[in-house]
Amino acid sequence: MSSVAPSSVKPSIRVKVLFFGRLKEAAGAAEEFVELAPGSRIEDLFAGFTARRPELARYRSSLVASRNQEFAAWSTPLDSGDEIAFLPPVSGG
Amino acid sequence: MATPPSSDLILLVHQGIDADALVHHVRTGADGAIVTFDGCVRNQSHGRRTLYLDYEAYESMALAKMGEIAAEVHTKFPIDRVAIAHRLGRLEIGETSVFIAVSAPHRAAAFEACRYAIDTLKRSVPIWKKEYFEDGAVWADGELPPVPQDTQARKSAS
Repeated sequence: MSSVAPSSVKPSIRVKVLFFGRLKEAAGAAEEFVELAPGSRIEDLFAGFTARRPELARYRSSLVASRNQEFAAWSTPLDSGDEIAFLPPVSGG
Repeated sequence: MATPPSSDLILLVHQGIDADALVHHVRTGADGAIVTFDGCVRNQSHGRRTLYLDYEAYESMALAKMGEIAAEVHTKFPIDRVAIAHRLGRLEIGETSVFIAVSAPHRAAAFEACRYAIDTLKRSVPIWKKEYFEDGAVWADGELPPVPQDTQARKSAS
C-alpha cells in the first residue's frame, strides 16, 4: 500500500472498459473506467455490468473479451491499467 | 505475436480505399503474380434491400490483428508482400470495404494467401458492420473469434 493512501480506502484496481457494436448500444456507453477488488477477473467485471443492466446478461454467451488488445478467457485476472473490451461477433470484410 | 515485415502495408481508413496504391505497394521485380481481393458493399442482405453500411472497429486491436494475419500469411505461404486495408464509417452500395493484395513469385501461393487473409480477417478482426434498410438497421450476424481457453489464462489466475 502506498503511504499516501487514506487508510479507509480499500485497495482496488482500475481498468478501462470498452464496448462495441450492439453491445455498446446495450451498455449505453462506449467506454468506462471501473474499480474492482484486486484478484478480480474479466467475468467479475462483466458481472458488475449485468448487475447494473440486467439486459446485458443475454449477450454473455455471444461475446468475447479482450485484455490489452488480445482475446482473453473469462477467467483472465485483471491488473490496474488494463484495457478490457467486450466484443460481439465480428462482421468485418 | 510476430509482426509483419516492414514491407507490408496495414491500414484502417475513413475515406475511399486506394486500391491502385495497395497493388503498387506489393509489386516488385521478384514477383510473377499479384492476387487481390476487393470486398464491396452488396445491395441486398437476405432479400432486404440495403441502403448503406456503417462500419466500426476497435481500431488499435484491429490494426494489431490485421498485422498478425499478414505475419501469419508469410509463415504459411511463399509470398513476397501483403497489403490489407479496411474502410470504416458509412459506405454506399458498390464501394470497397476491404482490399487485400498479395504478391508472390508464383500464382498458387498468391491465390492461397489472399484467400487465407480475407477468411481470417472476417473471423478474427474486431470490426463490425451495421446494415441500414428502408425499415430499420441491424448489426450484421458475425463470427465469434477463437479465444484462448481458460487453462491458458495467466498462471496468476489460480
